[in-house]
Amino acid sequence: MTEAALLHVDNITVTRENGKKLLDQVTIKVGHGEVAGVLGRNGAGKTSLAYSIMGLPSYKPDLGRIFFEGSDITDLSITERARLGITLAWQYPARYEGITVAEYLRLSRKDATRRELEEALDFIQMEPFYLDRFVDKSLSGGERKRLELASVYLMKPKLAILDEPDSGVDLLALGDVVKLFKKLVDFGSSVLVITHRDDIASSCDRAYLLCNGRVMLEGQPKAVKRYYMSLCEPCADPVATSEVAYYESK
Amino acid sequence: MNLSEEYSALIEITQKTGEPIKTDEAHVIVHANNILASQDTPGLAIDAKETEYGVRATFTVKAGTVLEKPVHLCFGHLGKEGKQIIESKIILEEGAKAKFYAHCIFPNAIEFLHAMEGEINVGKGANMTYEEVHVHGPEGKIEVRPVTRVIVEEKGKFVSNFTLVEGRVGNLSLDIEVDVIGRLGSAEVTSKVYGKYDDQCSVRDVVRLCGENSSGLVKARVVLKDNSFGKFFGEIEGAAEGAKGHVDCTEVVQGHGCAEAVPVVSVTHPGAEITHEAAIGRIASEKLWGLMAKGLTENEAVDVVVSGLLR
Repeated sequence: MTEAALLHVDNITVTRENGKKLLDQVTIKVGHGEVAGVLGRNGAGKTSLAYSIMGLPSYKPDLGRIFFEGSDITDLSITERARLGITLAWQYPARYEGITVAEYLRLSRKDATRRELEEALDFIQMEPFYLDRFVDKSLSGGERKRLELASVYLMKPKLAILDEPDSGVDLLALGDVVKLFKKLVDFGSSVLVITHRDDIASSCDRAYLLCNGRVMLEGQPKAVKRYYMSLCEPCADPVATSEVAYYESK
Repeated sequence: MNLSEEYSALIEITQKTGEPIKTDEAHVIVHANNILASQDTPGLAIDAKETEYGVRATFTVKAGTVLEKPVHLCFGHLGKEGKQIIESKIILEEGAKAKFYAHCIFPNAIEFLHAMEGEINVGKGANMTYEEVHVHGPEGKIEVRPVTRVIVEEKGKFVSNFTLVEGRVGNLSLDIEVDVIGRLGSAEVTSKVYGKYDDQCSVRDVVRLCGENSSGLVKARVVLKDNSFGKFFGEIEGAAEGAKGHVDCTEVVQGHGCAEAVPVVSVTHPGAEITHEAAIGRIASEKLWGLMAKGLTENEAVDVVVSGLLR
């Protein structure tokens, strides 16, 4: 990145009350119009990183800072961060009894027309009749997941954090996920995708490999993917710098 | 205020809440113990009489009659104190279908008792929906005591929705018992209450499934804030072969509100199946965070969740 990053997570450490480190000296950057991927196995700390960037109360860094468009947002609330243009598509979106899909989507964009709502649903392969359904237990986890992506699509945020966008969504193939990235970038958004799928990470502009709460590797997605596929099982202690350099050079 | 003014005031309030009264639809409008208006419709007989503190009324929907438009029952009082006692009996004869919409309007009540003693009989193959919406003022300690006993016969269907979310609840003691006595009969009882200040909310919904292959649902959504207290008692008894029922209660507490939930599932026949779920406590943080990540403040997020629950 030649210009200042849109998002700069600068050496943050997030520690639980019991002393367990969820994130340990993590540094990542997401540039303007860039799709960055954070790859890692279950329990690597990927979702913790997403929550910390979004500002969830229990994920506030005890060390390090988070910058967005050059401003320090470490002490801002979720709402304040959202209003700056950051949003998160949750891995497991919540249910909202009594709220229709149309109403839910309009929370992302109040002035959206019915046509725009239908377009957002169409983008993630949902039929228009869903607009009158409720966002409750009558929707499957996969349907709520799609809805979450439609919501991000409508918001057109500056930074969309997508936490495992394909998990639980049967029909959303790699091509659909990449299409979603492209569309968001076309809108002027940047994307930070959290994933355990190497093929998704390799479609990003840059990738980070997270393990045990630490960034093990940063660089070209293909190099990160190769390392992930060949050496990253199970999550081990941080690798030597020489190994990282070796795999980045491939 | 004369009778005409009372009539206009009550009608005006109903226009803003729930399903507005249209004068071309069947209705009975009562202020205190005065019947201000009564209009029937083909297939519906209304027999209403004034009593010392209210009215005694019987509504009969004749066999095979399907009422396309709702029957409005408006029971109200515009004063600050007093009492109103409504005795009602609703009969749906075989194959009849109707929706009754009760508007209970007490916008200025401070020291007031509103008691309803209702009997409902849903005949063979009949289908009845009963909606009761209360409008109370922002102050005062109105005492509300609706007691309803319902019988549902073979293939009959009874749906009840009680809603008290506008203004102060005051002191509510809601008590509904439904006996589904006929095979393939069904009953759904839903109560929605929003307690504030030091409101006291007691909801008792009971469905007994005595008919073969009958079904029932008891559902409560109670939100309690400030120093209000709420207790929900929901019971379904499966007492016949193939009877299926479910109790579903969600109570949300905010501020210093306090909630109790007692879901009771009982089976007195080995071929019955009754389930329950109950959630009680604060709004899950995940729900609020999900909305805040769209730019809502925490208070706005709470309002969205609560309004959905009480819808």
